[in-house]
Amino acid sequence: MPAILQNDVLVYKGSNLFRQRLLLATLSGRAIKIEEIRSSFDDPGLREYEVNLIRLLDKITNGSRVELSETGTSLYFQPGILIGGQVTHSCCTQRGIEVLLALGPFCKEPLNAVLQGVTHHELDVSVDKVKSAALPILLKFILVDDGLELKVVRRGAPPLGGGEIVFKCPVRRHLRPLQCSKWGMVKRIRGVVYALRVSPTMANRVVEAAKGVMLNFLPDVYINTDQCRGANAGKSPGFGVSLVAETTDKTFYCAEAKSAEVGSGEQTLPEDLGRECAHMLLDEVRRGGAVDSSFQWLLALWMALGQKDVSECVVGPLSDYTIKFLQHLKEFFGVMFKLEVLRSEDDESSDEEDKFAIAQKIKMTCVGIGYVNISKRTL
Amino acid sequence: MADEAIFDKKKSHRAKHAGRKAEKKKKKNQVDQSNLSARQRNPKAFAINSAVRAERQFRRREDVISKKQHIPLVDKTPLEPPPIVVAVVGPPRVGKTTVINNLIKSFVKTNVTSTNGPITIVTSKKRRLTLIECNNDVNSMIDIAKCADLVLLLCDASFGFEMEIFEFLNICQVHGMPKIMGVLTHLDMIKNAKKLKMTKKTLKHRFWTEVYPGAKLFYLSGIIHGEYLRNEIKNLSRFISVMKFRPLSWRMTHAYILADRLEDITSQDSIRKDPKINRDVVLYGYVRGVPLMKDSMVHLAGVGDMKISELSYLPDPCPLPSSEKKRHLMERERQIYAPFSGVGGIVYDKDAVYIELKGSHSHKQEDEETNEKQALLKSVVETTETVDEQMQESGFRLFSGGTVIYPDMVKDDKDLQNRESQNNESSSDESDSGDENDSDNDSGIDQSEKDTTGKSSKLPWDNNSESDEDDEDDEDDGNDEAKNLQVDKLYSHENDSDEIDEEHKSSDAEDFSIKWKEKLGEKASLAYFERQKTSKNIMKLVYGEFEIGNKRKEDEDGNRDEESDEEEIGGLFKKVTSSQKRKQADKEQLDLEECSYFYNRNKPHLRDWTTEENKKLIINCFVTGKRGADEDAEELLKLDDASDGEDEVYGDFEDLETGEKHISKQQPEDKTEEVGSKRKAEPTKSDILDKKLKLKAKFDAEYDNPDDHRIKGDHSYYESLKAEALKQSQLNKSVFENLDNGLRVEVEGFRPGLYVRMLFKNMPSEFVTNFDSSYPLLIGALNMAEQNIGFVSCKVKKHRWYKKILKTNDPLIISLGWRRFQTLPIYSKIEDDLKCRYLKYTPEHVTCNMHFYGPITPQNTGFLALQTVNNNSNEIKQLGFRIAATGSVNEINKSTQIMKKLKLVGTPLKIYKKTAFIKDMFTSTLEVAKFEGAKVKTVSGIRGQIKKALNKPEGAFRATFEDKILMSDVIFCRTWFKVDVSKFYAPVVNLLLPIGAKNAWQGMKTKGQLKRERNIKVEANTDSMYTDIVREPKVFKPLVIPKELQKGLPYKLKPKEKTSTLTKKNIKEKLSNRVAVIKSPHEQKVANVMKMLKTNFEKKREVQKASTAERLKKFKKQQEEEEWRKIKRQKELKKKICRHLSKISNKKQTQM
Repeated sequence: MPAILQNDVLVYKGSNLFRQRLLLATLSGRAIKIEEIRSSFDDPGLREYEVNLIRLLDKITNGSRVELSETGTSLYFQPGILIGGQVTHSCCTQRGIEVLLALGPFCKEPLNAVLQGVTHHELDVSVDKVKSAALPILLKFILVDDGLELKVVRRGAPPLGGGEIVFKCPVRRHLRPLQCSKWGMVKRIRGVVYALRVSPTMANRVVEAAKGVMLNFLPDVYINTDQCRGANAGKSPGFGVSLVAETTDKTFYCAEAKSAEVGSGEQTLPEDLGRECAHMLLDEVRRGGAVDSSFQWLLALWMALGQKDVSECVVGPLSDYTIKFLQHLKEFFGVMFKLEVLRSEDDESSDEEDKFAIAQKIKMTCVGIGYVNISKRTL
Repeated sequence: MADEAIFDKKKSHRAKHAGRKAEKKKKKNQVDQSNLSARQRNPKAFAINSAVRAERQFRRREDVISKKQHIPLVDKTPLEPPPIVVAVVGPPRVGKTTVINNLIKSFVKTNVTSTNGPITIVTSKKRRLTLIECNNDVNSMIDIAKCADLVLLLCDASFGFEMEIFEFLNICQVHGMPKIMGVLTHLDMIKNAKKLKMTKKTLKHRFWTEVYPGAKLFYLSGIIHGEYLRNEIKNLSRFISVMKFRPLSWRMTHAYILADRLEDITSQDSIRKDPKINRDVVLYGYVRGVPLMKDSMVHLAGVGDMKISELSYLPDPCPLPSSEKKRHLMERERQIYAPFSGVGGIVYDKDAVYIELKGSHSHKQEDEETNEKQALLKSVVETTETVDEQMQESGFRLFSGGTVIYPDMVKDDKDLQNRESQNNESSSDESDSGDENDSDNDSGIDQSEKDTTGKSSKLPWDNNSESDEDDEDDEDDGNDEAKNLQVDKLYSHENDSDEIDEEHKSSDAEDFSIKWKEKLGEKASLAYFERQKTSKNIMKLVYGEFEIGNKRKEDEDGNRDEESDEEEIGGLFKKVTSSQKRKQADKEQLDLEECSYFYNRNKPHLRDWTTEENKKLIINCFVTGKRGADEDAEELLKLDDASDGEDEVYGDFEDLETGEKHISKQQPEDKTEEVGSKRKAEPTKSDILDKKLKLKAKFDAEYDNPDDHRIKGDHSYYESLKAEALKQSQLNKSVFENLDNGLRVEVEGFRPGLYVRMLFKNMPSEFVTNFDSSYPLLIGALNMAEQNIGFVSCKVKKHRWYKKILKTNDPLIISLGWRRFQTLPIYSKIEDDLKCRYLKYTPEHVTCNMHFYGPITPQNTGFLALQTVNNNSNEIKQLGFRIAATGSVNEINKSTQIMKKLKLVGTPLKIYKKTAFIKDMFTSTLEVAKFEGAKVKTVSGIRGQIKKALNKPEGAFRATFEDKILMSDVIFCRTWFKVDVSKFYAPVVNLLLPIGAKNAWQGMKTKGQLKRERNIKVEANTDSMYTDIVREPKVFKPLVIPKELQKGLPYKLKPKEKTSTLTKKNIKEKLSNRVAVIKSPHEQKVANVMKMLKTNFEKKREVQKASTAERLKKFKKQQEEEEWRKIKRQKELKKKICRHLSKISNKKQTQM
């Protein structure tokens, strides 16, 4: 759904991709208007977590203007300048937040955010995954790690949450262009199993199952258990696992799985969970590419925001979310990626089965827009 | 003398023939000394004698090296760079136009009669120049400085440097220093040779201090027949054509265009109806700097911010010669292009046609090209409307008796179709590469229509989507109808050079290609197309829907107009149903929960990777799997083995320590080969050879360089940076090289060097009606967020040549980035606690902070400030130097924090010991409440604190102090008051002014100006006036010593009586107490006598004194006379003696 341009305001419809749109609007400094937010639903208008996101954006920016219609079905957002600095925010327990990750390097002052809420969620990327897969990508763009950190103080499972994380991010004037077309081979597998307010044996059972699968491929598998007690365990029970595969070229793939929510009435067997997660990781490994599939959009964003130089990266098959994101990038920044399907040199690729096996690799090439962090202060 | 020669004779050298030294020499002579370096010949001379000195030498060398190093920049000049902008700048009547004319003549060998606006010429095989003259207006000077690569700074030598030159240099320094060459003219006006030499020297040195020592200054010694000497111009042109340029940071981040052509394409009819109607203007020019993005905002200097509503590239009107190997330029290739001055090759595009008569001899040779041109010209000249309009009007009939189809509708359909395919694709699995067949009957038809529109009307978006359409062609092969139509459309109209492009053509003719592909059986090409297709398809998957999305607005307008037509077409295209389908799909998407996982919430059934056949698929993704030939250690080892030949270093060997036997493993290798797919196993001969060569090169590099043995600094960091920058620049150039132009422009933007056409809609009519080509038309692209307006904080310094200081909130014209605008700045100073303290005036000779409301610009961008851009000669004379201040941007924000110091003053109402009630500081209790706890201070320095408000006098409060204060004390409370920056931002729109008055832009006036104009005078504050100070003498209270203290004092110090406490009354009392003394007659007589005697005596003494003085005087005189006589006598005696002596000496001499 491309946007309609009304005197320099991008007008969108529907609540889908709300997060993307707000994020890009903030970065580009362009005003957006979103209409028909769940207008046909029984409970029309913005959800609590979306309002919460707007609050967070308001906290880290200066001069933002938000106008909501009475029913909450339309929203006008005019972004201000990113300030960053010390922020404490209690997030909504319904959905998570990854937006800060993208905004971090472009603030006026180094971001030091304390976020409270749910740390693991069904639909969103969990903190473990962000920590293990997303931060290395950012590190490639900013090159020098001075204070990039994500600390999990407390874990919190849905529905009640109670987790707390501290995210610190240095600021940069501009990002460097990135070329990465190799990702190497998986050399080690690490993982964390957390058990919140449940028996520690659950964790061990998960570890065993996951390890059982992974040992088929690699001997170097270590999975930690993180058994939280008391306040550190958040407010509601649950357990989950996240596995990270590190390649020889410092690319990280991550997969995760978690138990069903407490109120849902479903039961999750730890063994199933471990196996499922391991299979998901293997799937991720098969897809390959220089980044984890759920952070393709982040890579695309940072490539597009680089200096006016060519960046190119090879990623696995594009996810729907990334495709949407690329479209949005085009609308907000006018950046178009050159996308090529990369064929491996093997001649057998025409073979039906092999074609499926060696997943389609896509080479993304773009010229950065020369985005500079305008909010940073020079002395 | 002969004796000395004998003594000087030295023994001749006898070389040793035996012994240590002789042996040494013999050894030395064995080696050929001629091609050895001094270091090798005489190593001892280069040995380190003193460690300290060696260290110093090393340090110095490193210092010198590191001083030479610059931060490596990524070279962004494209393969075919845009013409270099050469600006000719100088005060009026120095000969700027003559220089341009002469340069053109020397480069292109044509005489140009009038030079107006930029003139582009081809000077060599790889270089083009755009010459532009700068008129005598500050606005133009600023714009020129922002876009010029090379500046020829002309100066009248007979007059010397004028203020304009210094101003221009200053402008350049602020906006990025271009290369500057000084040119002295009018040298023939100075007749005296010595004076000429002196002038040259002084001017040269003055120039060097401004630019850099050693800057090139040309001398044009005189004019013959209205031209400079040919030799000197030749020299100048040589210097210009070999000039090298360093990238400037602003221009390396922003695209810009110096427009060299302007067309007004508003319909004549609407202009006739309303001459003031907003115009649609087309501007042309070369893109410079960095690639220009399609939908970026631009700033038109002197007009304002604009959005490019249409951007397309055109064939180069002044192309570089083809890349054939030739030494010189052909006569035909020496082109000149200057629409504003009425010269340039024949150029035809959408809007107009240009004819140029190239010199006198060009008519004679009528080659094919000109014939063709003429033919085309004829057809174009006859048309009355733009091609755009023609295209819109030209209908197109598919079947006889069918409805007429217009391009607008077609676009609609295209949109629709893409949408459809998009939906299909996005719903299908990721693995399919989007190879759907639009099996609808009609799809082929509407494609062909699209293509016709795409080819015949060179609309930019069609240009871009061409490739896209071609893909679609590829997809539906089976459609015969489409094929037939395609034949028609392909060659129905001339096409641009893109078509010649190899890959383009081939993909175009995909339908036909099937046949010849089979015939030739070229598998490679098949694979190539395959790849091409898929890669395009994935782009379409992502952007397909989008490309037309841009045009959505227009289409929707069109939709409404064609409501009636739609019904008819509906039958053929099934439009209604498909659009409904699309809407349905959109609706489904509309309110989905967003999720960045690969599989959204509906988790698919995962494969069981542990099963054997699945496992095989991904086993190679792990380190335990099989690697590529160049990575695999085993393969590499094998390669090594093979190159080593027989000696089997890595063959079987026995580890002696462990006693383990290593046997070169054959079996596992075989096993992996079974498991993994086939890879290169046996190293070929060429591999080995390669490896050997590599090794040899490495060895050579290490051992051949004798300097390697010296101690060297570690420059690897710098080297790696440099290599990285180089690599990046190569990548930038090469990545999009073989992409077709339409797509390339989409992805990369319009790269520098392209000649583009920009359409601006709704330009003010004054821009066209008051257009003056002697003013540069600079179009600068704005990067992300630069079109927004906010508060800019910057550091600024008043120029030392500017006579006045600047006042806060006086309007100031600032040239920042591409823009020139007027705004109201507030000056401030950053205190130690990083607070911005408001300043009323700029300080002299130091930088201060400045805040203003203006366009957001990246940090560190330089700017300059003027108080007026008016060219009123009186004003200039009064000012002397027009640049008021220079500085750079520090920070951008959406709010400001400038604090003004505010002193609240109060007086004591009542004083207790250390507490006092203070009044007059505040007016209400509320105010006091706000300041509770604030620090206060008396003038004498006693500190205190505000405690609480009092009830009775409104605004009074209780305060405590560290000591008792006095009623006469004044109490201060120091506070800060936030000052807001007024939101005033007015771009300088000098290009809209009438032609004669373009240099007379007048924005907001200063308060002082207004007051002077209206003769308003401020009432003087009587308190500030000087008056005589009348001071009453201070009467101190008497010192009172307490009685207790008095008791203890010794008698001497005790106050004796109350004399000290004198009052008038007391004095009278005292006098009344005194007794009068009356003498007896005898006593009176005695006293009288005594008095007389005394008087007598005194008189006597006086006389005596006088006589003594006289006597003394006499005596002194006498003595002086005596002395005089004595001296005289002596003198005479001396004379006599001398005479005598001289006589004697004379006598002696004569004897001799």
